Amino acid sequence: MHVLLPVLALTAALPLLLQAPPVQPPPDKRSPVTSGKKSVNPNDADAAIIKDFLKRVDDYVALHKKLEGTLPPLPTQTSPQIVDQHERALAKLVQETRKAAKQGEIFTVPMQSLVRRLMRPVFAGKEGAHVRSEILDNENKAKVVLTPNARYPDEIPVSTVPPQVLQFLPKLPEELEYRFVRQNMILFDPHAHVIPDWVPQAFK
Amino acid sequence: MTRRLHAATFLLCLSALVCCSVPAPALRPVTVGAAQPGAPPQGQVPLPNKPDSLKFAVIGDNGNGERAQYEVGEQLAAWRARFPFVLVVMMGDNIYGSDRPQDFVKKFEAPYKALLDGGVKFYASLGNHDSREQRFYRLFNMDGKLYYTFKAPKEDVRFFALESTYMDPDQVKWITDELQKSGEKWKIVFFHHPLYSSAGTHGSQVKLREVLEPIFVRYNVSLVLNGHDHTYERIKPQNGIQYFVEGSSGQLRPGDLRRGSPLTAYGNDRERTFMLMEVDGDALTFNTISGSGQVIDSGVVQRRK
Repeated sequence: MHVLLPVLALTAALPLLLQAPPVQPPPDKRSPVTSGKKSVNPNDADAAIIKDFLKRVDDYVALHKKLEGTLPPLPTQTSPQIVDQHERALAKLVQETRKAAKQGEIFTVPMQSLVRRLMRPVFAGKEGAHVRSEILDNENKAKVVLTPNARYPDEIPVSTVPPQVLQFLPKLPEELEYRFVRQNMILFDPHAHVIPDWVPQAFK
Repeated sequence: MTRRLHAATFLLCLSALVCCSVPAPALRPVTVGAAQPGAPPQGQVPLPNKPDSLKFAVIGDNGNGERAQYEVGEQLAAWRARFPFVLVVMMGDNIYGSDRPQDFVKKFEAPYKALLDGGVKFYASLGNHDSREQRFYRLFNMDGKLYYTFKAPKEDVRFFALESTYMDPDQVKWITDELQKSGEKWKIVFFHHPLYSSAGTHGSQVKLREVLEPIFVRYNVSLVLNGHDHTYERIKPQNGIQYFVEGSSGQLRPGDLRRGSPLTAYGNDRERTFMLMEVDGDALTFNTISGSGQVIDSGVVQRRK
């Protein structure tokens, strides 16, 4: 049991460390989602892994912004044709610029291990089964082969990411989201509709 | 006493098995005219239907492009001739499957053409089957935002649309701030995942409820509208808030509602449905209409004060 304590402490503190200041519900109804109790040692190995991950995320986002800046701005209210053209144009630029990218460049191997470890309690037990079923509710069981920077498969709906998953993960900038394709946790770039990287078998 | 309770429970379960409905005595029924399949009801128009009230419709899990979605669209248009609603709020899963430009025509513009031509404004929330980029689609009126708010054109009503597939702390802070500063009498929140549902496929999103419900209670939200489960369900008021699941305006999952659920005030998992709502002062009257044009549920919700 004591072996798990550091992980539990870290997972409890991650929202405080890494996300925007959590909202405080009424005191009598405080949600466990936003309640961190312990601080974490900033020298902790996990914190270093996360710091490195966020640096890689920032690098991707800087590139994304630079490339998107070369395209005509997307109006906030427009037609599906314009949105589709914008998505595909940005995707093409990302793919050309990152053509040498490999799986694991953003989600490094240590970060992949950490994600799996953080997700383990989320997917445990009865509640974990519900989380799993919400994520896998894609109603398309076709096999998917992931490739870095490839377009998100059109035939698969973007997965739900329940709050209990997000609460343990580092906050991402607006240009990226955590999503799932089957058991793989992906980084999803919604503007370009591409998958820059992923964690294979993030949960079982 | 115990025996009476058992008898009442048995009767409730029996009625649920027979017609999947448990009427709620707390809600006042509204007189409705006799409905004809495929046509608006003749005779008395349901709801108060007052000239200066806010009239709107609710649809959810609709965008499959199938015949049933078009039938619901026809019913919406037929009912609008008698009950001139000005806007429609969408509970998500607006475009199932492929969402190439032509899909927006097949799964949205064509089924609701009569409404769009008549100037009805649709306000979408995103479901788990929706592309994020739908927020830029002009006819969904999301203004490029995943979550947003707007004031109704009539009455003292404000709507709040959330993106429940990705409830991150930024969004939770946003809804808290927006509800806090909203001075409207009616605060109506809509999003895809139901905080309460008796459906077997998904059911209540308990963790999401732990995050959102305290905020709704604290800031006087009166009405919460959801989809996701492909059923219609009026939930018994929870902590003073009226919840509805309207997830059968295109999709339908027959037999999915758990009979005898303590949450259900009324449920229907046999027919596709949409809702008509009217806010007049402190009262919101609703009618739920089946795909064949029958009023299957109705009542009045009083706003929280």
